[in-house]
Parts: sequence; C-alpha cells; structure tokens
Amino acid sequence: MHMPALREDLRGLWLLVIWDLNRMKSRTLFVVMRVSWFALQVSLFGLALSAMVRFRAIAGTNLDYYHFYLFGIYTSMLFSISVSKAYDIAEEFEEGTIEYLLSLPFPRRVLALGRSIGGGIASFLFTLPMFAFIVYLLGSYDPVALTVSMISALAFSIGVVGFVLTVVLSLKSSDSTDIAFGLLDAILVRLSTVFYPALVLSKIAPYYYAALVNPLSHMSDLLRTIFFFEEFKAIAVANPDLMAAYVFGLAVGLSTLAVLVVEKAVEGGGWK
Amino acid sequence: MSKSGEFRSIALIVYRDLTRFWKYKFWLAGQIGMNLADILIYALVFNNMVNTQLIPDYFKFFTTGVIAIAAFASAFSIGREVGIEIRREYTHYLLGLPFTRWVLITGRILGGTLRGLIYQSSFILLAALLVGVPDLYGWLLIAVTSTALSASMSGLAIAISSSTKDFNLQATFRALTYYIFFFFSNVFYPRQVLAMRFPKPLAEAIGYMPVSIAADIYRWAFRYNLEIDIGQRFLLLMVWTTGMLIMASLIYLWNLTRG
Repeated sequence: MHMPALREDLRGLWLLVIWDLNRMKSRTLFVVMRVSWFALQVSLFGLALSAMVRFRAIAGTNLDYYHFYLFGIYTSMLFSISVSKAYDIAEEFEEGTIEYLLSLPFPRRVLALGRSIGGGIASFLFTLPMFAFIVYLLGSYDPVALTVSMISALAFSIGVVGFVLTVVLSLKSSDSTDIAFGLLDAILVRLSTVFYPALVLSKIAPYYYAALVNPLSHMSDLLRTIFFFEEFKAIAVANPDLMAAYVFGLAVGLSTLAVLVVEKAVEGGGWK
Repeated sequence: MSKSGEFRSIALIVYRDLTRFWKYKFWLAGQIGMNLADILIYALVFNNMVNTQLIPDYFKFFTTGVIAIAAFASAFSIGREVGIEIRREYTHYLLGLPFTRWVLITGRILGGTLRGLIYQSSFILLAALLVGVPDLYGWLLIAVTSTALSASMSGLAIAISSSTKDFNLQATFRALTYYIFFFFSNVFYPRQVLAMRFPKPLAEAIGYMPVSIAADIYRWAFRYNLEIDIGQRFLLLMVWTTGMLIMASLIYLWNLTRG
C-alpha cells in the first residue's frame, strides 16, 4: 500500500474513533443508570450473595466470594455496555446515519474497523469508574495488573462491538436486534463464570462446556488471575496465557469479521 | 355518565392498553428469556453453592421469588407509555374523551395490572411444575397477591412517569425505582442472610417492601416455606396496595390536569 493511502486510511480511522467518542456525550443518562445499577449490585446484591455461599469450601481459596464476584460483575457490565452499542447502531440505521457513513470517502474496511475500535474505546471508558471502584474495593493497586487488565478489557470491548456491528448490519431490523441482544446478554452472562466458578458449573455438563467457550468466562477469569493468580488459578477456565490469547483473538477475529461483512455484504437501505 | 357507561369506558381503556402490550413482543421475549435464564441457569447452578443451612433449596426459593419480579417488571412497562403521552401532550386528547378522569385513571391502572398478570401467569405455571402444585387456598392467595402487586406497581410506574415531561428524568426515576424494588427485596436472598451483612434495621426494612411481601406469600402458597406468618404478610400487602393506589391515582390526576 502506498504511504499516502495508508495515511488517509489512518486519518479516516482516527475520525471515526473520535466520532464514536463524541457520541458518548449523548449517553449521560445511560451511564447514570448503569452506574447506579452497578453501585447497588456491588454494595447490596454482591455482599448478600457472598454471605450465603460456601465459596471457600468449594473453591479451596483463601479469598471470599465477594472478590470473585467483583471481577465477574465488572465483566458482565463491560459486556452489557459494549452490547448496548447494538441499539445505537440500530438507531443510526433508522436515522439514515449508516447510509451517510457508507457514502463517506474512505474504504469500508476503515469504516468497520473505526466503528469497532471507536465503539470499543467508548464502552471501555464508560466502565472505567466501575473498574476504579472494584479496584478500590479489592485494595489491589499493582500497576502491572492494572495496566494488563485495562488493555484486556479494551480488547474484549473492541471484539464485542465488532461482533455487534456484524450482527446488526446483517439483521437490519430493530426488532430482531432487540430480541437477539436481549437474549444473548441474558444467556451469555448466566452461562459463564461471572457468578460461579467453572467447578460449580461442571455439575451440569452442557452449562460447563458452554461456559468453557464463553468469552465472558475467559475475560472474568483472566481478570481474576491477573490480580490474584495464586488464589484463582485452580478454578479458572484455562491458564492465564490461553485466556489472554482468547481475549485478544476475540478482538482481532470479530473486528475482522466486521470488516468482511461491511466490505462484502452491507448496502444502504432495507432496514426493517 | 351511567355506571354501565363508565364500566364500558374502563373496559375500552384496558383493551387499548392490552393491545399495545403486544406491540412490545420483542421486549417481552427478551424479558421472558432473562427470567427463564435466571431460573433454569442461575438458580440451578447457584443451588450447588449456597449454604443449605441458610437456604435448604435455593432453586425452589428463587423460582417462587422470581414470580414477584415478573409481575412487577411487566406492570411497570405501562409507565413508559404514560411518559410518552405526557411528553407529547397526548394527555389533552385523553382528557377530551367522553369519560371522567377517574375512569381514565382506573382504566390505565387496570391495564397495567392485567399486563402484569398476563406476563406473570406463565411463571406461576412454571413454578407449579418445578416446585409443586398449590392447593385451592394457595391458588386463591396467588391470584389476589398477583393482582395486588401488579396494581400497585402499575400505579407507581404511572405516577412516576407522569411527574415530569423530561424524558431523561422520567427514565432515570423509573429505572432507579425499578433497581430499588429489584435489589431491596428478598427475591434473591432471605432476610436472615441480609441480617448477617447489613444493619438489622435495613434487613428488616427490606422484608417489608411490597416485592418481598409478595415473594413471601408465593413461597407460602407453593409450600416452600410454611413458617411465614401468612395473615400478617397478606394484611401488609393489602395496606401497601391500598396506600400506593390512592397515592398513585392522586398524583396521576394532579399531573394530568396541572397544565
């Protein structure tokens, strides 16, 4: 590729990322609601759950369930906020913004990648206050753990937004988007190690195997092992290297899928 | 307007609200999926982790409790529409229709109540299948409890949504109320668990929230927990329902006519 073309592509990518970040301002209410939900989850729901489970006996760790839960609930929040991009994209389709973006003078691959990265960064930034809050509750401020976990969270978010982009642009329907992502969110969060370790899930075989391939399991267990390796290594779905590879593979794979779909299949109009 | 005319008008308003309910079939499908996933995945798996000395059977505990959440969530959906009507000043059209304001208020609350009952019925049948079939008295209690809970939540959602024309404020008030009823209830955890982690007054107060009271009655009716003082719980629910319906009706009436 010629350098000017590459420079143009990078400029387009940058503009799209900025565009997605600017749209964050219109979602203040959404953030307020999510933060309230999160605050109640960790201060009431999480503490109550940790009082009623036999976590140390089951997991054989010297940490209590609340530590386990905090990483899980952060992952589920990151996932839900990234998935909520689906509703934004559906709205853009209804308003004709997608057609406008498709007509802009940069390649489709730049559009797909720019929206995946921009949406991923915006979703990750939304969850930063929540991430800071759980770090404060855990009392673990290891700079390496903080950096690696934030990079992983960003990669995870980019992957999920790439997937969302692919699905919404393929479905081209507000109703189908609503039901598909509502159900996906409900099922994936529960069929993962967000609330319970793989060890407990292993008592129900189909749930266990679903959790093993579920990206939420890999992300939440990766965060757990980044911060408390010794305590959580035995109950994670895989070793940390594999989980990290899974999360980064997810980001690259799903963004590439978004590029392929936007390049080959997406046309303006036809929204149902 | 004659009494029969009033009943006919109420029936028409309720019918209109019910037909609109089916427009939200995609929202409903998502909600059903979430509640089913809660029972068939979350509760089933969590059952293997819970301290059985505190909760002998978490699956049954949760399945009976989720019925209360189901009624409250779907009855709450009417608030969204009332909010749109207030914002678009469509309420002037409603007030111009040939029936009294009380007929309108009764019809709207009843519409929300029926939404709650319709949605919840599938979860009651599922609980009967998974937990056990209640006796005749149990069914009666379930029917009255569901009606009372749905009516009070429908009234509450209408009162909240009509309190401001600002969309953001409407959605925030509704969501915050929803979160408070959702988390500050004993659907997910019993009172003794709350008492272990939180100050006793808070744990006690959560036990007196309407969703908690309804969950207790369902647990009694499905014979999961027969140690509940059912008379006291039932009386409390009726007090809550009466109070909330009066308050909600007055607030809605005031919001409809304040110009």
